[in-house]
Amino acid sequence: GGCYLVSPYVPTLVPPYLLEEIPHWLIVYSKADEELDHKLHWNMFRLSELDCYSDMLTRLYKQELQLIVMKYERYRSALLQEIERRRHATHAITYRAHSNC
Amino acid sequence: SLTRQPEEVFDIICKLGEGSYGSVYKALHKESGQVLAIKQVPVDTDLQEIIKEISIMQQCDSPYVVKYYGSYFKNTDLWIVMEYCGAGSVSDIMRLRKKTLSEDEIATILCDTLKGLEYLHRRRKIHRDIKAGNILLNTEGHAKLADFGVAGQLTDTMAKRNTVIGTPFWMAPEVIQEIGYDCVADIWSLGITALEMAEGKPPYGDIHPMRAIFMIPTKPPPSFREPDQWSPEFIDFVSQCLVKNPDERATAEFLLTHEFIGNAKHPSILSTMIAEAREIRESQAYRNSQQQQTNNAKTFAGGEGYSEATMRQRSDGTLVPSDLAADLGTMVINEPDADLATMKRHDTDPMDTNRPKYRPLFLEHFEKKDVNHLNIGAPTNGTLTGHNIRLPTDDNLTAEGGGEGALSFQRAFVEEGNFEFLAFLSEAELESRVARLDAEMEAEIELLRTRYARKRQPILDAMHLKRKRQQNF
Ligand SMILES: Nc1ncnc2c1ncn2[C@@H]1O[C@H](COP(=O)(O)OP(=O)(O)OP(=O)(O)O)[C@@H](O)[C@H]1O
Ligand SMILES: [Mg+2]
Repeated sequence: GGCYLVSPYVPTLVPPYLLEEIPHWLIVYSKADEELDHKLHWNMFRLSELDCYSDMLTRLYKQELQLIVMKYERYRSALLQEIERRRHATHAITYRAHSNC
Repeated sequence: SLTRQPEEVFDIICKLGEGSYGSVYKALHKESGQVLAIKQVPVDTDLQEIIKEISIMQQCDSPYVVKYYGSYFKNTDLWIVMEYCGAGSVSDIMRLRKKTLSEDEIATILCDTLKGLEYLHRRRKIHRDIKAGNILLNTEGHAKLADFGVAGQLTDTMAKRNTVIGTPFWMAPEVIQEIGYDCVADIWSLGITALEMAEGKPPYGDIHPMRAIFMIPTKPPPSFREPDQWSPEFIDFVSQCLVKNPDERATAEFLLTHEFIGNAKHPSILSTMIAEAREIRESQAYRNSQQQQTNNAKTFAGGEGYSEATMRQRSDGTLVPSDLAADLGTMVINEPDADLATMKRHDTDPMDTNRPKYRPLFLEHFEKKDVNHLNIGAPTNGTLTGHNIRLPTDDNLTAEGGGEGALSFQRAFVEEGNFEFLAFLSEAELESRVARLDAEMEAEIELLRTRYARKRQPILDAMHLKRKRQQNF
């Protein structure tokens, strides 16, 4: 199958598919419009290959998941920063008002 | 005697609890009168690996590891028959008493747990799911490791099928990063479990699991929220477990010689705690049974019907982040920085065993679809109307559209991180956007998950077909 690479230097329980490069067409498939999906004849592949592609989809899924989470992480910190900035601004204003008296 | 149907062999007495993949029942072995626990897990197809795993577990024989007796298939459910631990899990006990554990109690439990881990690790077996919920106590207060192997195996199988990711809070950084792991991954989880017993929940337990997944590998190892409440020995023990580099992390064997464990007291010190938890459980069960009788006298008529109903519900409702909320109650999600030591102050909710089923937040928000504030400037975006701020990268973004572009769009977004538009929003708007973040992220993740589930389905179908054909030859 060529799909399962076992590295001699990594400890047990490494997901084997991790070491294999994801074929470009699979990446395209994962993003393509679902209406085109039926064009792929999965039956043509061997069982081990299918298993591998399934694992690779998991990997792609996790990559995309990471992008989403990171995006929100950035957004969250920008929001919190902005809120913080305004609090400081109002503090500064009230402080000035006080010192004026 | 796998030829006989399990219900001929066992009487189900009552439900003990529910986990991410199924429910656990107390049962009676009819022939011997022995009390057992049976875990029922709905499974769809070929589970050769799991069966293999169970047979490996059956060979494990240690007083510190829950004994596995065997398994059955009942319709689409797998029944795993195991030793019954009368006091339930450590997390059950915390939840019932609404109380975290004392240092002495923790040391005693950790001592047995380490012996269990040492036993497994000596045989090169990794538990993979160490947490307070998987440390069971028998009535004498002896701790035993549960859910070894099968849990991991099941998680893998489920993950393959549904893109479910387990709860990350106890996972070692190397496990999350998928760079390969070894027995010491369990030691990290043990350190997290120690913090869980001391503080009521694992570190990051109050943030969204998806965020935790990315924080655990990147942040320094967690520690106690209030270090001055704990002895230096305990703090040192935990810090030896929570070493990020697995090569430098202590082993179970080594930790058994740690001073904190050396000073551990006899399991009998747990007896008051166990008795208290049992009383609460019994009075709750009594109350429930009263209610059951008035509500629906028929529910318990047949042993089969109710179990099947509960299983179905779970099997299609499995959602990634829900475990957290289900486990810890409402306190968690909505109070990001709730003071942890005040567990007792939130007396009513946090550890209520009768917690209602967690309904994923995103369901409510799903219909509202306004969500995508992040597609700033994109023509379809509704959130920013009124403030027509155009980003410098705007043209690229709109030009790219869907497909491959969507990914690079997100990447571009993350890299550019142009949030100037926030300056134009009211403070109330900013606050409400912060409040909506998790729900919106969940909604987006759910869309992603369903897309991948659909993309995977034809592959799974093809595999299923091929396996069937192979069997026929
Ligand atoms: N052998 C046992 N003896 C007594 N009670 C048990 C036994 N096994 C499980 N339980 C009870 O059933 C509950 C559910 O167990 P289960 O393993 O399904 O879920 P969990 O450990 O809480 O979470 P997860 O599904 O992530 O492992 C436990 O919390 C415990 O109360
Ligand atoms: Mg469990």
